[in-house]
Amino acid sequence: MKTPVEEKMLVTFWGTRGSISTPGRTTEKYGGNTPCVTIENQGTRIVLDAGTGIRNLGIELVREAEAGTQLLGVHLFLSHTHWDHIQGLPFFQPAYLKDTKVTIYGSPKKERFLASVLKRQMDYEYFPVSMSALTADIRIQEMSEENLHLGPITIEWEEQGFHPGGSVRYRFSAHGRKVVYATDVELDLIFSGDHRTKEKEAAARTYLDFIAGADLLIADGMFSEEEYPSRVGWGHASIPAVIDAASKSGVKQLAIFHHDPQHSDKYLDDLWVKYRSRYLAGPPKMDLFWAREGLTLAV
Amino acid sequence: MSGKNEILRDRNGFDTTEEIPRGQFADMLPLSQRAYLEITGSREKDGIFELGEKAVVVGRSTECDIQLEVQNVSRKHARVLLHNEEYLIEDLDSTNGVFVNGIRVVRCVLRNNDQIEIGGVKLMFNEEKRLHKK
Repeated sequence: MKTPVEEKMLVTFWGTRGSISTPGRTTEKYGGNTPCVTIENQGTRIVLDAGTGIRNLGIELVREAEAGTQLLGVHLFLSHTHWDHIQGLPFFQPAYLKDTKVTIYGSPKKERFLASVLKRQMDYEYFPVSMSALTADIRIQEMSEENLHLGPITIEWEEQGFHPGGSVRYRFSAHGRKVVYATDVELDLIFSGDHRTKEKEAAARTYLDFIAGADLLIADGMFSEEEYPSRVGWGHASIPAVIDAASKSGVKQLAIFHHDPQHSDKYLDDLWVKYRSRYLAGPPKMDLFWAREGLTLAV
Repeated sequence: MSGKNEILRDRNGFDTTEEIPRGQFADMLPLSQRAYLEITGSREKDGIFELGEKAVVVGRSTECDIQLEVQNVSRKHARVLLHNEEYLIEDLDSTNGVFVNGIRVVRCVLRNNDQIEIGGVKLMFNEEKRLHKK
């Protein structure tokens, strides 16, 4: 039976690249902007990360607001505050509109409070406009232990280790469907490695539980199998590690995300051809693809 | 390389390289953007359809710009439009969906060689940008 359109979560990729933006001919298919994803359902709009991809999102939101189709209320969830995940915020046009309300959520476990980290990015030494000059109603809220409810969407979260400085993964549920955003975590250290510790065992268990049965998992798969051995400890997962964890947990659709800046469209196409057919037929059956900018899915 | 230049100069009798006025380059700057859908698997409509600035509706209905008389295609199945100088495809809430490179999409910016699938009919997207002379 066809699921009513209004029950589906619309997931759009505005930036899929990791570490640094990579404009140019060889990256135009998968995109060169750093992480930014939106999830929308019944008028509630959630933004995941504020990489350079948030600039194009901001332009679209302002266009929508001017056309009177959508009031500007934005909920921005940060996985962490590394550069590639916050760098687009000073260029997010709705932040300069006084009628806009932007709520920014993030980890409560930062050494410095989230607000101060974001303000420092807009210090005069780095950017000509200070955060206090932004005219939108901007609120910064650290996540609490309780689940958050925004419209029909329930948001759960967990801290992730195994990334320098840590990161947060989020799970968004609405109408019985689940989207998990779990980027910037070195799964290879959790699931393999010579020394199995209690910490790793616990991390593996909580990760698998969190992503279990997800209709869509957006996950860090930055390095190829061949590249990973020379990048141990960098805080990012190899493609086989994320595919293996997702297939064990009954994930239905996996979007490989946070592409390495060195990976061209052709390189990612070749990886897609290599892995996709193995899982499409199953078992376990899993729809696997490499996230690309400008793509909207219904979940 | 200088040896080759020497030979040319000697043969043609040039002493210096003459500068080209900038204006001659400016005449050639305008770009024309052309995009095409190469349709296969529809029998009657197989061929190349050129996209323009106007949105194009694909479906089974006779009102569609690209009419695909295939049972798995919805009456108004998808729309291809130009947005911010990029072509994108949108699913018009069809029964069997729009697939781009095997992924079911609601909307997707199109890139060269993207393989669109609509009810079993394949549409390959290609675009080119050409300088056009005045």
